[in-house]
Amino acid sequence: MTNFKPGFVHTPVTPFKRDHSIDYDQYAKVIDFHLRNGAEALALPMPQGEDMSLTDPELRKVIEFGINEVKGRVPVIAHVSDAGTAIAVERARHAEQMGAAAIASHPPYFWHPKPAMVVEHLAQIGTATKLPFFVCSPPVEDVGTPLTTEIVLQLIDRAGNLAGVIDASMDWVFMVEAVSLGRGKRPGFQLVTGTDYMVSAGVIGGSGAFSPLASVAPKLARKLYDACAGQQFVAARKPQEDMASLHHLVKGAGLAGLKAAMRAMGRECGVPRPPARALGEVEYGRLMEHVNAMTFLAAEPRGW
Amino acid sequence: MDTASKGTETSITLKGVMQAPVTPLKDDGSFDAAGFEKMVDFHVRNGAPAIAWPHHKAESLNLTIAERKLGAEVAVKTVARRVPVSIFTGTMSEEDSLDIARHAKKIGADMILAISPYCRRPTQDEIFDSMVRIGTATDLPLLTYNSPWRNGEGVEFTGELTRRLIERLPNYIGMKDASFHSEKFLEISRVALSMRPGFAIIMGVEHLLASYPLGACGSFSSSGAIAPKLCNKFFASLVAHDWPTARECQYKISRLWRLFKEQYPSSLKGAMIMMGRPVGPTRSPLPTATKERIDFLRQQLEELNILQTEPIGW
Repeated sequence: MTNFKPGFVHTPVTPFKRDHSIDYDQYAKVIDFHLRNGAEALALPMPQGEDMSLTDPELRKVIEFGINEVKGRVPVIAHVSDAGTAIAVERARHAEQMGAAAIASHPPYFWHPKPAMVVEHLAQIGTATKLPFFVCSPPVEDVGTPLTTEIVLQLIDRAGNLAGVIDASMDWVFMVEAVSLGRGKRPGFQLVTGTDYMVSAGVIGGSGAFSPLASVAPKLARKLYDACAGQQFVAARKPQEDMASLHHLVKGAGLAGLKAAMRAMGRECGVPRPPARALGEVEYGRLMEHVNAMTFLAAEPRGW
Repeated sequence: MDTASKGTETSITLKGVMQAPVTPLKDDGSFDAAGFEKMVDFHVRNGAPAIAWPHHKAESLNLTIAERKLGAEVAVKTVARRVPVSIFTGTMSEEDSLDIARHAKKIGADMILAISPYCRRPTQDEIFDSMVRIGTATDLPLLTYNSPWRNGEGVEFTGELTRRLIERLPNYIGMKDASFHSEKFLEISRVALSMRPGFAIIMGVEHLLASYPLGACGSFSSSGAIAPKLCNKFFASLVAHDWPTARECQYKISRLWRLFKEQYPSSLKGAMIMMGRPVGPTRSPLPTATKERIDFLRQQLEELNILQTEPIGW
């Protein structure tokens, strides 16, 4: 069960209509785009899919809808993070019933419990299903509970189906410890990068990647992924630097940046759901200028 | 990485696992100059491509300015031009940092490493101004020390700040980077290496595996006093792009770092006793390794096959 390898995973956005309801017609287009542009698996709905802005029924429906649309062509990984343990547990069970291939969860949102409670929270979610389970390490600047090496090592003891860590911390100390000490406890324990920064995670011993920017630049993301998967880390430096400049641009525009960059590439997905703020036309124009100046994006698909 | 700068007579080669010696102290806590000579010479004889002192592992902030100047003189004299010598200027007061920088120039050091100001949550402009003052106090090549902390303290060099400093300072040749973070590293490396191709990005401890393919040229060592052979093997494997060997070395060095970072640098000094290179106590408020801690370290060094394979004694 822990042998499941996510591979190159795309993390689609969740499109919204003007009234902020989920636009399922557009969502079908998004999923189809990812499947035609190199996704080996989809993860729904990750933070790029605005999971925190969706209600519990919507979160369940998004996973159900995604699995139905994908029709078994690639695995669908269900992301079930929440503040409350029981809520996340029930969502994991629902995802298993719907046919998800694996479960992923962050440490609890909002609360700052002691490490033992974080272990308990994640162990309950992990053991709620028989699916492979991945824990997500949040970005270092996040205000939530960080995932430490010690928590990961304790979770390996608690959850027999813990397959690995999806890392968005980008913290090299954590990554090296998690993969080297994790494999001391469970051979084959996986480090999967949860960002488009694939070189460092790959050379450290990671495999697989969750790529938020595959929504904008799927060819570049694939090129970077393939170079890392082929252990060509020095050759991967240029695409990694290009990807870093795109990341820097999108991140600088806040949560709305990713959808705005998709719009600039001809793939309209609406604006983020409040309280996230949409870009104004001036801000969007500035972002569009930068996107147009990025010559490496010339080879990327425009439109759907 | 060959780095030449205006005002320096020769280019400096910075690459590999560079050694940052600890500060040997006598039993009464006083600076052990003779012990420090042995320490520096040990590193050079065991392949150190550069010597850098006194970093935090050398208890820099617990040394007086007079002791730091004396130690710098001992380092330069002992190395005797066999490899470059970097002098760390970080102090609580910028006036002391300027004094140490000028002294480093006077005694023939090859470069300075600067961080400023400590403990004040400085803005980017404050860091810029401080680095310009220190960087223009002498014409020595300048390295800066990027030390971002998770809680927003520390002194962080962003890509934009690095760009401004490269534009302003012709002698700005590199950075000690202790971000250990993919995004932060790449923000700096993308800017610095495009503006100044010889710019030396040196990792704060040996987190070289994640950074070498992206343009880092080496590290200031945490574990070279214990395992110099491992450090040299690690860097050779990176140069050869032998990633499986590099991974094996990185994992081992990271286990050492995990041991040493607890009560740093007292655990490192404690482990040196096991390697036949005693360097005395650690100055208060840092603790000195207890007998129990030293026994634990011995067990760990045996398990890691360090005691059996690395040089014992001086």
